[in-house]
Order: sequence, then C-alpha cells, then structure tokens
Amino acid sequence: MTLLRTYPALVIICALAVGFSLLSPYFASAGNIEAMLGANAVVLIAAVGMTVVFLAGGIDLSISTVISASAVMSGLVMAATGSVALGALTALAVGMVFGALNGILIGYFSLTPFITTMATQLIARGVAFVMSAGIAVKGTPFFMLDFGFMVWFGIPALTIVALVVVVLALVAMARTTWGRQVMLVGSNAQAARFSGVNVPAVTFSVYLFSGAMGGIAGFISIANLGNAIPGVGDTLLLIIIGAVVLGGTGMAGGEGSVGRTVLGVGILAILTNGLNLLGIPFYDQLIIQGILIFVGTWMATRFGSRREI
Amino acid sequence: MTDTPRPVVSVRDLSKAFASKTVVSNLSFDIFPGEALALVGENGAGKSTTKNMLCGLLTPTSGEILVEDNPVTKVIGAEHGISAVHQELSLFGSLTVSENISISNLPGHAARIDWPAAEKTARNQIEFLGIEIDPRALVETLGAGKQQIVEIAKALLHANKVLILDEPTTSLTAIEREKLFAIIDKLKAGGLAIVFISHFMEEIYRVCDSFVVLRDGQQVGQGRLADVNQRALEEMMVGRTMADARVDLAAPTQVPALDVRGLSSADFTGIDLTVNAGEILGIAGLMGAGRTEVAEAIFGLRPATGEVRIKGEFAPRNVKAMMARGLCYVTEDRRTNGLFLNRPVRENLSAASILKFVQRKLRGFGFQGEKAKAQDIVADMNIAIPHIENNVSDLSGGNQQKVMLGRWLATLPDILIFDEPTKGVDIGAKFDIHAAIADLARAGKAIIIVSSDLPELLHITHRMAVMRKGRIVGEFMRDDYDSVKIISLAASAKESTSNAA
Repeated sequence: MTLLRTYPALVIICALAVGFSLLSPYFASAGNIEAMLGANAVVLIAAVGMTVVFLAGGIDLSISTVISASAVMSGLVMAATGSVALGALTALAVGMVFGALNGILIGYFSLTPFITTMATQLIARGVAFVMSAGIAVKGTPFFMLDFGFMVWFGIPALTIVALVVVVLALVAMARTTWGRQVMLVGSNAQAARFSGVNVPAVTFSVYLFSGAMGGIAGFISIANLGNAIPGVGDTLLLIIIGAVVLGGTGMAGGEGSVGRTVLGVGILAILTNGLNLLGIPFYDQLIIQGILIFVGTWMATRFGSRREI
Repeated sequence: MTDTPRPVVSVRDLSKAFASKTVVSNLSFDIFPGEALALVGENGAGKSTTKNMLCGLLTPTSGEILVEDNPVTKVIGAEHGISAVHQELSLFGSLTVSENISISNLPGHAARIDWPAAEKTARNQIEFLGIEIDPRALVETLGAGKQQIVEIAKALLHANKVLILDEPTTSLTAIEREKLFAIIDKLKAGGLAIVFISHFMEEIYRVCDSFVVLRDGQQVGQGRLADVNQRALEEMMVGRTMADARVDLAAPTQVPALDVRGLSSADFTGIDLTVNAGEILGIAGLMGAGRTEVAEAIFGLRPATGEVRIKGEFAPRNVKAMMARGLCYVTEDRRTNGLFLNRPVRENLSAASILKFVQRKLRGFGFQGEKAKAQDIVADMNIAIPHIENNVSDLSGGNQQKVMLGRWLATLPDILIFDEPTKGVDIGAKFDIHAAIADLARAGKAIIIVSSDLPELLHITHRMAVMRKGRIVGEFMRDDYDSVKIISLAASAKESTSNAA
C-alpha cells in the first residue's frame, strides 16, 4: 500500500505491460524493448527537468523547443569542428542560456512562469529554424551515429545516459539542500522565505536545471535521429508534461518525485509501442493517451497525495 | 428614542459552533430602530461571528434571529434588511463608484444593464449621505474615507432595517471620522438601527446608545451606555484580572540582546525597542497597529529604515544574516507564511536548520540526524502525531503551532520573536507553549511576544510595550500591569496620552 502511495502509476504500468504481452507476441521481445527504451531517452531527460520545475511550483513550456535549439546549435558546432565533446558542451550551454533567461525573468522579476516560458518557447523555436535554415543539420560526426545504436548490457547507450541523469536528479532532490529547498519553495514559497530560503535563487536554479536537461536531451536527440532536426522538440511538450503528470507529480508544487516521472514516461512509452504493435492508428492512440492521463491524474490525487500511515 | 416599544431585530439564544468548538453561545439582545448598539469585546471574543450571523453570512448552530418578529431562516444576499460594512472593504477598485454601489442588484434585464439608472441610484445614495463623490470615478482613485462612504452607500441599498459597521474608522482621518459620525446620526434620525463594532471607547460613547459586551463567546453584559462609565465597560471586556494566574518568571539579566533604534517604514514610525537576555517583552496593541510589520521588519522580511543591533553589534536586516546571529521569528499566520502543508512533519521541523544535518561524505551522503532530531522535538514538545513522516496538514492547530516553534528551536536561537503564539490553539496546547516560552527565558533567551490576547501578555511577560497606529505609545513593567489602562492606551483615539513614554 505504501508503494502504491509513493508510485500510483505502478498499477497502470503493470496492467499495460501484462496486457500488451498477452495481445502481442513481439511486445516482450528483447528487440522491441530495446527500441522502446532508445526512443524515449530524449523524453525521459526532458521530463526530469520538467518534474523539478513542477516540484518547485512552476512550469517550463520552453523545454521542448530548447531541445530543438540546442540540438541545432550543437549540430552546427559538430559539423564545423568535428568535435563531439564541443557539440555536447554547446548543447548544454545553449540549454542553460535559455534556462537562465527563464530563471531570471521568473525568479528575480517575478513574471509568471506560464507566459514567460511560452515566450521563450517561441524564441527557442525561432533560433532553431533560423540557424538551421529550417532543414536537418548535415555533417553529424560518425561517432554520434554509432553512439545512437550502441547497446551496453542489453540496454541502449542513450537510455543509460538518461538513467544516469535520472539517478543524479534523484540524489540531488532527495539528499541535497538544493533538492530540499526546491520542495519547500514548491510547497509554500512564502513559508520558505520566512524560513530563510533564498526563494528567487532557488526559482532561478530550477529553470537553469530544466534548461540544462533540455540541452542534454537535444544532444541525445542527434544521436537518436542521426541529425540535428530543427523541429525535433515541437511535438514533445505535451508528451513530457503528460508523462510527469501521469507519474503523479502535480502542478501545484511540493508533491511528487523524479522517480514517479520515470514511471510516467514508461507508461506512455509502453502505450505507444503496444498500440503500434497492435496496428492502432496514430489518432486513435491520442484519444487513448488523453483518457489515460485523466486516469493517472485521478489515481495520483486519490492515492498519492495524502499519506496516512 | 429610548422609549421605542418594539425592537426591529431580536436575537434569542444565538449560538455558533465550528466543528466542535463553540465560538459564540447563547446571545440574547434587541436592536431598536433609530438607535445604535455597540458590540464590544476583545479580539476573538466572537464579535465577527455575531456580525456574520446577523447579516446572513453564517447560519447559527442554534437560537434564532427575529426580524420584526419573523424568524430569519435562510438568507440570500441581504433580503432581510440587515447589511454590513466589513472591516476589510469589499469594493472593486477598477470599477466606478456607481458600478460598485449597484453591483449586487444591477437595474435592467439580465443581458442589458440600465447603466443610467444605476448611476442615478448611486448619485441619490451619495447625495443622501451628504458627501461629494463623482459616481463615475474609479474606486481605486478615492481615498480611504470616501471608499468607506461608498461601501456604506452600497450597504444602505439593502439595509432598510439594520446597518452593521465593523471598525469603520480604523483607516479614517479625524475629519473623515467626524463626517462618518454625522452620517450615522442622520441614519439614526431616519429610523435605521445601527450595530457599531469598535475598539475605540470614545467612538462608542460618541455614536451609540446601548451596548452588548462579549467575552470568549459569552454575553457578559448589556445595557444603556448612559448607565455605565468607560472603565466599567472595559473591565467587562477584559474580565477576570489575571494577576493570580501569572506564572513566576525568573528575573531577567541586564545584558541587552536585541536593540532596535528608530525603525520606520510606511506602516510604523520611530520604533525603539530593547530586550535583555532572559527577558520576555510583550507588544500589545489592536489589529492594524503595525506590530506584525515591526516584527517582520526586524527579521528582515520587510523594507524599513533604522538600526538593529544584536548583542551590541550592528546586524544587517536580511533573514539569513538575522538567523546566523541567532534571531528567529515565529509567524502569526502559520498557514500562509509558516507551514509546508503537503510536506512531512520532519521536513517542516528541519526547514530552518537543514544545513546542520548536511553530510557530504559519500557514505551516508545526504542529511544525517535529521530524523532523530525531528523525533526528539516531537517528544520534547509533546506533539501528537503517529509518525514524523505524516504531512503537517494532518495535525491540529495546536500541534501545527508546536511544529512552528520546534522548527525555530532547532536553529538554537538566542532571540525569539513570537507573533500571536497561541492564536487558534486549544487550552492544552496554549499551556504547553507558554511553559516552553517561560523555560526559554529562564535559559537566558531574549523573547518578544506580539499578541492580541492581553491576558496572555499579562501572564507571561516581564515588560509590555503598547503600540497604536504605528507608534509605541507606552510601556509598562510587570508590577504596574493594569489591563484597563493598557487597553485604553491601545485604543485611545487621541494622538498623545499622559501615559506615553
């Protein structure tokens, strides 16, 4: 019962996994699971960033196109220099610049997160398309292409990168002062201020973090897709938010965890993959996804929020 | 006036309980047309609850309100002819005066509002009150006095029998106050009954004919104001003298711990305070006197000018610096400014002292000893919870207040500022909190208590400063405590008094 309270999404994920295994013989095959994991590394990394912002009581609508902008910039740098390391640093830096912009405006100038990050979303999308002239960036180093297909211990390398990010975020949230302050600010920013927490600085930091996650996700998207694509993030925003909410992290702040988000991403990944295997058309899948988000949110509020030990 | 035979409103055995807590019990009084009734009592005596039942915002638990002998059952709006002007104005700043006045009863059909008619109504109302206000002016452009008049004009549209005024003068200048009293006289002459709620005795004697005194939800006195002097009325409000119930406090040291000089801001002026180690200083005053603002400014939560010294050394006024120097501030409004409701008790307890638990070695990376400390506090403070991982929202008010206190004790402070430390807590928790505060003083801590609960301050402080309208207007030593003197000083309308320090 405690496990269910901490991870309300666990029920859905088990039901889906069992259901699809029964319905499709390919679902549980090693090849399919590998494909499913690799395809969701980008979303998982970005969702970690979004989760932390949610926990602090905010929202980052720009994360999707920050993925695009950092991918494009990183792709351009790699095409020009041939250096994968420089490319990675560029992606991270671009993400953090956008994150810092959000953080300064929201943390220090008290603008609303929704509007601010929506504006940043437009800017980042513009940057991605302007810098790439609207087409995929050519000249991706071969290492990146190989990296996209590498499998370590039966798990795609991209997924391992994403899991390392998850573990670091989990540790940061549960065991550092920063993580604790993020939770307190999300739970009650005014009370945090009265307790000596530097609320503007913490707010700034979560958007910076989220920007960094967008940058890493952008870099990983190049390995995943083979090229830096200016529109890569455009369709991801609702999937990212959906995954966070399905996992059981609420938008009110102070309630939820990065661990829950891993399950949320898992649910959407399994659902998409399973429905594809069953040959369900894309638009029918959208309806099912939407309904599932209703169910997930309901379960999160029903079982997740109140701890009665 | 005095021989009006029939009351317009009769209150019979009126009681109100929230959950199991009775806030008002067995009130019985009459309101006569053309008269003003003073509803008096200390903060928390039940005046607001009574007011809200009269104007239909709250349904009584038992008893009844008779309007011209008809019992009021369920009230929607103010259709029973009783309307109130509340202490916090309920106007829409961005709408015009005439829109505000007619907002709850716009003339015309649902889809087509007759704006000219609305404006005419507003103009008539304002003219009737004898004040010059442009009905087309935006309310936010008016001063506090005129806003108050607009609010009265609005209430009068519905109040054809009784108008309730709750602390109507707190934000008014002396001239505006006189204008208001003239209006009240006019309304009374027109046969309207007034219920007047105020802390200011001068005003009550100026405006009212009769009185009802509430204390702790009980009706402890009623009668004609002509038959009772101010001191007797104040004694009824305060009730028992707390002298016999006082705790024995240890003598304070003569070492200054906190020294505030000339602290000023928009809300208060020239505040000088000193507290010695081992001393408990009370700050008494009415709501809105600026006490919380002073406390928050000292802790660095509000901008202000002036100097704060801690143990003789200059201290910059920001929260972090103040905490580092051993100061802490336990907020009055624990739900808004204090608690992290959807987080566990453990995190609420460690919120101000988390740095003490940080463990940076790889082995056991995270917070060491946080749980143990939380369990210690829970045991020491007698906090009733099954588990420290329960959310703090599961606790009762008294236990939540203990969590707030525990959070700050965990920072090992030398100077503690408590703002309404026992607001909304039950008697048992109040006792525990008072005992904890007395122990802290005995251990050499310097303590400031801001409280609207005068008996509490009489009970637990060495010295008391009285604030009124942003200034310290008097100071009393424990041996000279006189609750009636303190109340009249806090509530006096005069700008300077003989008692003032």
